[in-house]
Amino acid sequence: MWSVQPLAIYCKIPLMASSDETSTDGPDASLRVDFCGLDFASPLVLLSGCVGFGEEYTRVKGFSNRDVGAVCLKGTTLEPRLGNPPHRVYETPAGMLNAIGLQNPGARHVVEKILPQLDFSETRFIANLSGSTVEEYAEVARIFDDSPIDAMEINISCPNVKEGGVAFGNDPDMSARVVAACRKVTDKPLITKLSPNQTDIAENARRCLEAGSDAFAVINTLMGMAIDAESREAIIGNNQGGLSGPAIKPVALLKVHQVYQVCRDHGVPIIGQGGVASAEDAIEFLIAGASAVGVGTALFYDPLLCPKINAGIENYLARHGLARVSQLTGTLRLNSPPVRQPGCGV
Amino acid sequence: MSTRSTIHLVEATVLEHHHLDGEQHILRVQADDIAADARPGSFAHITCDPCLPMRRPISILRADRRQGWVEFLYKVVGEGTRRLAERGEGELLSILGPIGRPFSFDTARRRPLLIGGGVGMPPMIFLAETMRGEKDLQPFVILGSEVPFPFTARPSTVMVPGMPEGVIAAMPLLEDRGIASRLASTRGYAGCFEGYVTDLARHWLDALDEEARGQVEVFACGPHPMLEAVARLARDYNLPCQVSMEEFMACGVGGCAGCVVEVQTETGPAMKRVCVDGPVFEAGEVFPF
Repeated sequence: MWSVQPLAIYCKIPLMASSDETSTDGPDASLRVDFCGLDFASPLVLLSGCVGFGEEYTRVKGFSNRDVGAVCLKGTTLEPRLGNPPHRVYETPAGMLNAIGLQNPGARHVVEKILPQLDFSETRFIANLSGSTVEEYAEVARIFDDSPIDAMEINISCPNVKEGGVAFGNDPDMSARVVAACRKVTDKPLITKLSPNQTDIAENARRCLEAGSDAFAVINTLMGMAIDAESREAIIGNNQGGLSGPAIKPVALLKVHQVYQVCRDHGVPIIGQGGVASAEDAIEFLIAGASAVGVGTALFYDPLLCPKINAGIENYLARHGLARVSQLTGTLRLNSPPVRQPGCGV
Repeated sequence: MSTRSTIHLVEATVLEHHHLDGEQHILRVQADDIAADARPGSFAHITCDPCLPMRRPISILRADRRQGWVEFLYKVVGEGTRRLAERGEGELLSILGPIGRPFSFDTARRRPLLIGGGVGMPPMIFLAETMRGEKDLQPFVILGSEVPFPFTARPSTVMVPGMPEGVIAAMPLLEDRGIASRLASTRGYAGCFEGYVTDLARHWLDALDEEARGQVEVFACGPHPMLEAVARLARDYNLPCQVSMEEFMACGVGGCAGCVVEVQTETGPAMKRVCVDGPVFEAGEVFPF
């Protein structure tokens, strides 16, 4: 069933190295990032949905949460959710589709049973808030507010069950309402995870910023589908799923650049994410305007990727005479004059 | 409970790669850390080709701790395994493993019944060899295939009760270790039982006296319909049964919850991850009937 076509782009992804090449000292001081007042040891953030509730990857010899600035925990709703039926994942050219369906044990269980197991000296842990109503998001935020969690990421890509199932994140109005509701119940840093499946991501960011978002994660997955031509069936149990991996990197870079135009003057940081599989990818996101960089799908290729990305960024900083990684943020040199508007034959 | 055992990420050298009928392949790699920790039922997550970066879960056929090699038997089912089959001796493969909750057996049940279908054969062979180390255990292995078996069957010299006349074909590797085995197929292969593995298993179970039947524990790996039939068989005879499940998999270490199977628990239905909560589950959890 794993039938995909090869693309030359994959071949840029390095094979993993043996575990004795992984660092044990943690990232170099030049990689430290102040993110909403949180001290990130590296700009790298492990993305929600890829690393369970923070400890799953520690099964892999050589893996350490100390190699990353923060770990985003799995999407959490007020009540436990079973999630979607299989198949939940499927490889596609230069990426994969997933439709997990927010399987999680509920916010109270996470706070009471899982957070006490995490070692907060290793890295910063970020909760991922999900819900079906504005009220549910706020209640989940309130539960996490009363916990040691370092920050909260609002997953506004969930469907709004009270208003026709349209994803909150696809509508700036609904997005801002979710952010405002969460803002009311917590002073912890709020990171809004923006969806690429909308007309104007910059406008959405502007509205969420006004509603109290402290930071943004850009982007969430792009919605997609896989079909088995022989059986004419949708392969993913949920029929549709989110596309991630190197295939979406160009989209993500543009969206980070667009959101950065809104954030720059307000000092609001961005976690750039979407297809990061190498130090070069991470650096491109920083240049586009990100202060931190998310790693997700590429961990499935190489669980020991993060120390290698850290080393690659360190090397880049040294080569370019930069003392700190934050000096890279938003240093994109656009062509002048600006390109014409999309849709005008460019 | 998920397993917390250590998973190694290694660049393993291909030592041998044998190509068999029915697009089946036996791959042997040098992977000392994985060989040391591999257990029957555990699997490895393999990058089949650097240009196809998502890994493919492949169950472990055998492992030699002393020499540090691991063997896989797999069938080409898609692009990933097709590319894996192209890897030659001396090439390096990125392998993550061993992964998963292995089979666990009760040595008080002296007559384990091991049923492997198609690419579900490898863990059964590994399990049978492991059981052979327990001198009181007398495992009986039934292997089924709808394509030519990935070995040349030979007439068995080990007597097995209840076998219909002419059902004499056995797997040489098991035979050489004194482990009883028989083969089943609907394809009419010589010496094989013509029918399903579960039908042959019934012949054997019916030939045992009540005391001997009470010593049976069932282990199975194979296609979903076969596992369901094995679970039903175990329920009919009131025997404990473990089954090894498979599902499309992304991370392979419990991080993404992409590879779930629905199970029944005391508190209701739950989604368990095949990679680290399984791949081995109690049959009654997966097939509650």
